[in-house]
Amino acid sequence: MAARCLWRRLCQGSSFPVSYASRVMQKQCFLPNMDLVGGRFSGSHVHTEEPKTNPLVSISDEPEVLYRRLSLLVKGHDRAVLDSYEYFAVLAAKELGITVEKVHKPPKKIERLTLLKSVHIYKKHRVQYEMRTHYTCLELKHLTGSTAAVYLEYVERNLPEGVAMEVKKTKIEKIPEHIQEPVWDTLPQVEEAEVKS
Amino acid sequence: MFQFEKQAVAENMMSAEIYYQQVVTSSWGSLNTSDEISGIHTVSTRRRGRMSQLIRSHIPPRTERMAVDQDWSSVYPTAAAFKPASVPLPIRMGYPVKGGVPPPKEGNLELIKIPNFLHLTPPAIKKHCAALRDFCTEWPSALDGDEKCEQHFPVEIETVDYVSAGTSIRNPKARIVTLRVKLSNLNLDDHAKKKLIKLVGKRYCKDTDVLTIITDRCPLRRQNYDYGIHLLTVLYHESWKTEAWESEKTEEDMEEYIWENSSSQKNALDTLLQIKATENVSNVTKEELLASEVVRNYRNSVIALKNEGETESNMSQYKESVKKLLNIQALP
Repeated sequence: MAARCLWRRLCQGSSFPVSYASRVMQKQCFLPNMDLVGGRFSGSHVHTEEPKTNPLVSISDEPEVLYRRLSLLVKGHDRAVLDSYEYFAVLAAKELGITVEKVHKPPKKIERLTLLKSVHIYKKHRVQYEMRTHYTCLELKHLTGSTAAVYLEYVERNLPEGVAMEVKKTKIEKIPEHIQEPVWDTLPQVEEAEVKS
Repeated sequence: MFQFEKQAVAENMMSAEIYYQQVVTSSWGSLNTSDEISGIHTVSTRRRGRMSQLIRSHIPPRTERMAVDQDWSSVYPTAAAFKPASVPLPIRMGYPVKGGVPPPKEGNLELIKIPNFLHLTPPAIKKHCAALRDFCTEWPSALDGDEKCEQHFPVEIETVDYVSAGTSIRNPKARIVTLRVKLSNLNLDDHAKKKLIKLVGKRYCKDTDVLTIITDRCPLRRQNYDYGIHLLTVLYHESWKTEAWESEKTEEDMEEYIWENSSSQKNALDTLLQIKATENVSNVTKEELLASEVVRNYRNSVIALKNEGETESNMSQYKESVKKLLNIQALP
């Protein structure tokens, strides 16, 4: 209850705007655990029996998107900030029930440039600058579309200033129906016309 | 002090007392005389001599009133700058003075500059996640391994999202879509598979049997995804078609070595026929020779050599088959 109150308050604040409130969840249509989905998120007529159902959750009929892997590459200039962010992201993933496959830190990249120190002449006196970019890579496994959307929004909104992120999503899909069988078997007339021409 | 001034000050004092009731702590001591009221800007500047009247002593920071077991997420509910009066930690940051310590937190710009995670302490994260858990769905338990995912969902689509601070939130690299599929999962026969591999060229990796299509010619990601699926469809259907000019496929175009109707078969058969002729054996037909075991062995060894390359086992197998074919046992 306290959490929901806090969350509602956060809703009114600046960091979590109304999009959280209208989050639409996608129903999974091929699952073996349909009973879990059905029992937990009941329709409006069962509200009186299950007061714990979150009224902001709505289920749509679209089939759930599946992500085999979600790879977050976080880039920043300060190693300590990235470490704190990694702790936050890993804890958030664990709390939401997402398996963290691997957390590794690619080596930093330093970009150096040499400029003239003076505005005019004095070629022999230069000044050197460098930009250090530190990386942290977080790999998550087996996420559904709703979970990925929730986790990514939470994590991206709390991205600190001066830190960039690249999210690589690997979605898995069935082969489309039009590639199951070659179309030439079903369209003999078209084939004859082509052979003639 | 004049009488009406004293009254005005007294009134101010009373309102101040109501407001500062929670502020006053025991350590602060009793309220000072009406002359020195802290926090209230004394309007009168007529007492230029009495500098003590104009001194404003600050109210003690909020940290002194904080309990040890307070709810920290109400102090820092959202991302905010570091406020030294609100954070009850004795932090020092910066380059230390010579022979001294780094500067304290009061008025420390280094602490304000660096992004802080005071709003994301573990209890706060747990609270947020407890509220967000309602919106998450579970991964289907039937797809617990990569092989099962591959079996039921062979097509993989990879997209990248970019988040960074700047003048624009758009990133032109975000529209690139990568489509990966294993050809063994597609419904292709032998000819179709070979034709598809020839059509795609470098996009097919022979070791992992994966076809990769990277599209970025459309301005939107959805359009690129549709184009990728369209390419896959077209490739699939075109590879099933057999064109008239495909019959002109020469030996150089073949992907793998086929022994039937090759020069090796011709040579072997001619040699065997000549051997049989010199031995004056009754005319053995070509089919009988082809079906005989020595020729079979020779065929297998030649195919292995040509397709897989030269390895120890392949070479020794070829040697054995040649010895059996030409009936030479003497050589080691």
